[in-house]
Amino acid sequence: MRARIDLLRWPLIGPFLRWRYSRFVLQLPLLLLAVLAIYDGFVGRQLAPKNLSTVSVWLHYRGLLVLAIAVAGNLFCSACPLMLTRGLTERLRRFVPQFTWPMRLRNKYLVIAITLVYLFAYEYFDLWASPWLTAWLMVGYFGAALLIDAFFPRGTFCKYVCPLGNFNFTLSTVSPTQISARERQVCLDCEGHYCVNGRVDTPEGPRPLAFHAQAEGERYPGCETQLYAPQIESNFDCTLCFNCVRACPYDNVSWEVRSPAREWAGVRYRADYVWLGVLLFFAGFMNAFAMIPAYYALAERASELLRTRNEALLLGLAFVVWVGLGLGLTVFVAHWASRLAGIAEGGFAAVRRWGSAFFPLSFAMWAGHYAYHFLTGWASIVPVTQQALGNLGLPVGEPNWQLAALVPENLLYPLQVFILYLGLMGSAYAAFARARSVGRGTAALPVFLYITVLVVLTLWVLAQPMEMRGTLLDPGSQPGGLK
Amino acid sequence: MRMRRWWVVWLLLIILAGCKPPGAEPLDADVSIEPWPPQVRKSLITVHVPEELDVVELKVVGDMTHAGMIPVHGEGERQGGGTWLVRDFDINMRGDWILTITAKDREGKTYEKEVRFTVR
Ligand code: SF4
Ligand code: SF4
Ligand SMILES: [Cu+2]
Repeated sequence: MRARIDLLRWPLIGPFLRWRYSRFVLQLPLLLLAVLAIYDGFVGRQLAPKNLSTVSVWLHYRGLLVLAIAVAGNLFCSACPLMLTRGLTERLRRFVPQFTWPMRLRNKYLVIAITLVYLFAYEYFDLWASPWLTAWLMVGYFGAALLIDAFFPRGTFCKYVCPLGNFNFTLSTVSPTQISARERQVCLDCEGHYCVNGRVDTPEGPRPLAFHAQAEGERYPGCETQLYAPQIESNFDCTLCFNCVRACPYDNVSWEVRSPAREWAGVRYRADYVWLGVLLFFAGFMNAFAMIPAYYALAERASELLRTRNEALLLGLAFVVWVGLGLGLTVFVAHWASRLAGIAEGGFAAVRRWGSAFFPLSFAMWAGHYAYHFLTGWASIVPVTQQALGNLGLPVGEPNWQLAALVPENLLYPLQVFILYLGLMGSAYAAFARARSVGRGTAALPVFLYITVLVVLTLWVLAQPMEMRGTLLDPGSQPGGLK
Repeated sequence: MRMRRWWVVWLLLIILAGCKPPGAEPLDADVSIEPWPPQVRKSLITVHVPEELDVVELKVVGDMTHAGMIPVHGEGERQGGGTWLVRDFDINMRGDWILTITAKDREGKTYEKEVRFTVR
């Protein structure tokens, strides 16, 4: 047996996570921050670097998220304040009809569509530049979580709708931890599978909550995203809520330290999961590319060529062309690799086989870009929070805006390069391990070549000077005075 | 029970929202940047304020529209005739900028104006 490190066996961490209110304790600070950020976004000064809504969402939330995923796991889902709407949804449930989530939507395609719409909106409405829209985005998220989980079973929002959660799920395939079962035999003998069904402690003993919803006794909900602890082999769909840990009466659930490489090399993901992972790479590239001068130059050219100044059209076109090209090329390359391996399968089956090689790279893509913004401006959360609290009338002193710069600019690019190289190594490992497992190591070469080219392209993008402009096309500058 | 507590929090926030500190008066000023169109470099900012305002101090702060960007600060030098110069104002990145011009008069009253421009 492998030597395992179980974080739940550690002092403090273990007892804390087992405690039924631990999630609430993690969520509360984020909820308060979100409320303050929404407030500041609505009534504070509409200046992105000086408003808590834009700073907390676009710098800290995104930056700390990738950091947490890299060093621990999907902790932002654990602490997600959206799930504090639970109390309210439970109440609403009594008054609204209950539906089951349609079979056809029980996959990640809706998430993929929402992610694309969201990324388009991000660029088109310059969400990053507007505290007001950012505040609305947060309110919209709370509302959507509330509504979806009131009409549909718990966990529907996280698993099938939430683009943020699914972003976290995909990236946490690189995380060094995972929920697992300690002793397989205990699970085989387990009568209730409480980790997924939940548990209710009746006077006659524990019963699975899913089948004894009306029973009296202390209740421990099970996994809302329907993961079954002994079968988990990937972090996909795990919100690290630790419900399973609390529900298992045999204390048989572990949160173990693992090598993510095992997951990249061995797990056969569902096709929709792989598509989400591949899409996130190309979307992440687009997100970074849209911040450099070459992008604007390209937009000008396209505008002349197509004789249109319609931003929505040009932006939509950029998305369709780039993402379409990326996905198309991926099918082609994966198919080629499968042929080299002597496997006769269609392009889509091949993407499913090789596509997981993208997960480490997708992570590195977003981590590299977010690290840049987070590290340049991480300290600005201090004056921004000060200002927001000050607006509420609290005596917090004069905010010091020069706090914004603390990490030397010239260290940022090397750090991004380092992150991307790690991602490339992870992806290359995944591709070759998968090729070896079908008996032909060289079959990974097309994939390896392809991701190398993509990484070089990404490095080129990250090496460009950033341009933070809201308009796609040249807004023109009026001569003389500014109004 | 818990829901009621949130209502209290909400109510408190709404009430507190009424206690915003008084903001600055609008400033009726002409602002220009040299060179124009603006570029990534140290630039000269000229501000004309109405003479009857009796401005004694003028500051210019440049912010970009992306969170995390460090603001650039500049002090105005008085030139007479309501003209103020900010020399070597460091426009350090391409993109959208927002200049906030804050003027203070002898009584300590502040006036503010915001202008936007884009550096390509
Ligand atoms: S983890 Fe616990 S509840 Fe789940 S199957 Fe195993 S023993 Fe049963
Ligand atoms: S209950 Fe499900 S989502 Fe929560 S930690 Fe366990 S496996 Fe992950
Ligand atoms: Cu950027």
